Amino acid sequence: MEALFFNVSTGFLEGILRGYKAGLLTQGHYSNLTQCETLEDFRTQLSTTDYGNFLANEPSPISTSTIAEKATQVLVDQFNFLRTNAVEPLSKFLDYITYAYMIDNVVLLITGTLHERDTHELLERCHPLGVFDTLPALCVASNVEELYHTALVETPLASYFRECLSAADLDALNIEIIRNTLYKAYLEDFYNFCASLGSPTSDIMHRILSFEADRRVINITINSFGPDLSKERRAKLFPTIGRLFPEGNNNLARADDVEQVRAAVEYVPEYRSFFETSTQSSGQSNGNPDGYEDHGLASHLEDRFFAQEVHLNKLAFLQQFSYAVFYSYVKLKEQEIRSLTWIAECIAQNNRERIGEYIGTF
Amino acid sequence: MSGTGPRESIFPTRMALTNTKTRLKGAQTGHSLLAKKRDALTTRFRAILRKVDEAKRKMGRVMQLASFSLAEVTYATGDISYLVQEQAKTATFRVKAKQENVSGVILPAFEVDRVSGTDFNLTGLGRGGQQVLKAKEVYAKAVETLVELASLQTAFTILDEVIRATNRRVNAIEHVVIPRLENTVKYILSELDEMDREEFFRLKKVQGKKKRDADKAEAARMIEAGDGDETSIEADTKEESTEQAGNLLNDRDEDVIF
Amino acid sequence: MTTSFKDRNLLAVIGDEDSITGLLLAGIGHIDEKHEKNFLIVDSKTQISTIENAFERFTERQDIAILLINQHIAEKIRPMVDRYQNAFPALLEIPSKDHPYDPSKDSVLKRVQKLFGE
Repeated sequence: MEALFFNVSTGFLEGILRGYKAGLLTQGHYSNLTQCETLEDFRTQLSTTDYGNFLANEPSPISTSTIAEKATQVLVDQFNFLRTNAVEPLSKFLDYITYAYMIDNVVLLITGTLHERDTHELLERCHPLGVFDTLPALCVASNVEELYHTALVETPLASYFRECLSAADLDALNIEIIRNTLYKAYLEDFYNFCASLGSPTSDIMHRILSFEADRRVINITINSFGPDLSKERRAKLFPTIGRLFPEGNNNLARADDVEQVRAAVEYVPEYRSFFETSTQSSGQSNGNPDGYEDHGLASHLEDRFFAQEVHLNKLAFLQQFSYAVFYSYVKLKEQEIRSLTWIAECIAQNNRERIGEYIGTF
Repeated sequence: MSGTGPRESIFPTRMALTNTKTRLKGAQTGHSLLAKKRDALTTRFRAILRKVDEAKRKMGRVMQLASFSLAEVTYATGDISYLVQEQAKTATFRVKAKQENVSGVILPAFEVDRVSGTDFNLTGLGRGGQQVLKAKEVYAKAVETLVELASLQTAFTILDEVIRATNRRVNAIEHVVIPRLENTVKYILSELDEMDREEFFRLKKVQGKKKRDADKAEAARMIEAGDGDETSIEADTKEESTEQAGNLLNDRDEDVIF
Repeated sequence: MTTSFKDRNLLAVIGDEDSITGLLLAGIGHIDEKHEKNFLIVDSKTQISTIENAFERFTERQDIAILLINQHIAEKIRPMVDRYQNAFPALLEIPSKDHPYDPSKDSVLKRVQKLFGE
């Protein structure tokens, strides 16, 4: 039934979006880019793609951060076009996408406020996708208490703040814990919202969000083996969705080393394969002479997560009449920017051996 | 003679001669010691120079590796620079200075002094934590290289300074102090010789006068025995003695003129 | 010359954002009671005078053993850097991400080269 009316409101935007998607860099583009000797070549190569002349006005010794910034700007422009043309419930869906970036921005401002910095200069450091009209209002707050109340009133994140944190928490907790608490609330909320949209959006989004949640759970676990984060606290940061929930989450909350993490995620075949292959390849991955065996495993894990994310997001495009493509596009584009930055970084720093470690999209 | 070159203003006495000779001896010993020290320092300096040069080049590579690991972090987590800046509170990576003695020069050397800090332990909790951890390690290693280099460089700066000072001293002793002492010794010697000659001459004069006195006394005794013109002879003697004194003075003058 | 270098145990940095982030990750960051930082972030908007001030401040502080400065930033205040001859704090020019290390510009290496008679 949905499909019947889908195109009435969303057909145009979906068409645009699929057009955008066709503009994502292909393997051929990537292999051309990796052949570049200098960033100048890199720029020339990019100008033949959909990025066009986005770097044309930059002064010549071009830095990798400029490339990342400009590429992000392209994404933001596209997104804003979609957002302005969207109607309910797609507009709401798109808003949800931006919440993730908002969390980062608000957390950034909290950090600034905690250290009594002038938060106005932080505004330009915020991720442009997460900028909302009332964000500058947060800068007015001079202490954490005020900031908390302003955040409750002014931001779309109010409900996450209300549910998870008190004003005192902002002061007492590590900023990363705050970020992850908010993110957990966001993921759960987004998950529920997607459920309300019904099939097929919910099907696809649940798959993607579950993976996102699981990824965070695993990451948090791996990154908090030390004594800095108590087990109870760790458990509280785990989103209550995902394929690992609840049993895997419980096991992970108690895990003390990578081995136990592996055991905990054993029953999800995809995740198991991450760990299996990563242990094998960590042996071969001694491209760097200093031998970071332990880190090698983990960073490969991260790469696999990215690859899996890309894979899931690509699958989303196979389905018609779903909002999930919008989410997937943003994520794919983000990954593309990351890859571009990585390649540019490798070129700039003359580290050719590792230039192939990007994750291509199509 | 004594007029050539600068010398110390000193009374030409035997005492002063002994003193000056001792000092000359001391200066010569000092000179050879300082020269040895300079050579030792220069050897060390050369070694450090080479190391500095090497380390500076090594640093280039190490820092590149480090900034690459930061690129990995950015890839995985995005920009963390602000968070990191704000979370920095107390240094966990410090240096300790220890001393090393090279031929009497105290060279400070920095030693890495790390305490495990908790400043950024949760950075990248959601994702990229491992990369952050790795970047931390790589950077810590890089900083260790930097510290090592800084030690070398400080040693370089100090040694440079000390060698210059030592060189100055060596040169000063060689070209100023020693010649001056030598001149002084020469001067004292010549002056003493002069005095010897004077003394000899004076002694001769005194001897001559004594002889004359003795002759006169003899003559007087002879006259006394005659008991006639006693007083006239006495006056005669007096006259002669003043003339003698005048002669002595004249002698001296002549000498000075000469 | 033999000032009490025992008390000097901090490192200070003047550098671009990436270098500073990395060095702070290594744990050299220190903010004392007076909110005095031991690092200065230089971007394209930073005034030369700000750099010079920071340079002076860092070289005069008694608790800093080593002062690190990005080479391309040292280049901006080159006369000042070249004039600086003190042993403490030791001044070290380091490369940055976008500016590979150029030994011919380093003030210390210049002296090294002079001493080698090149």
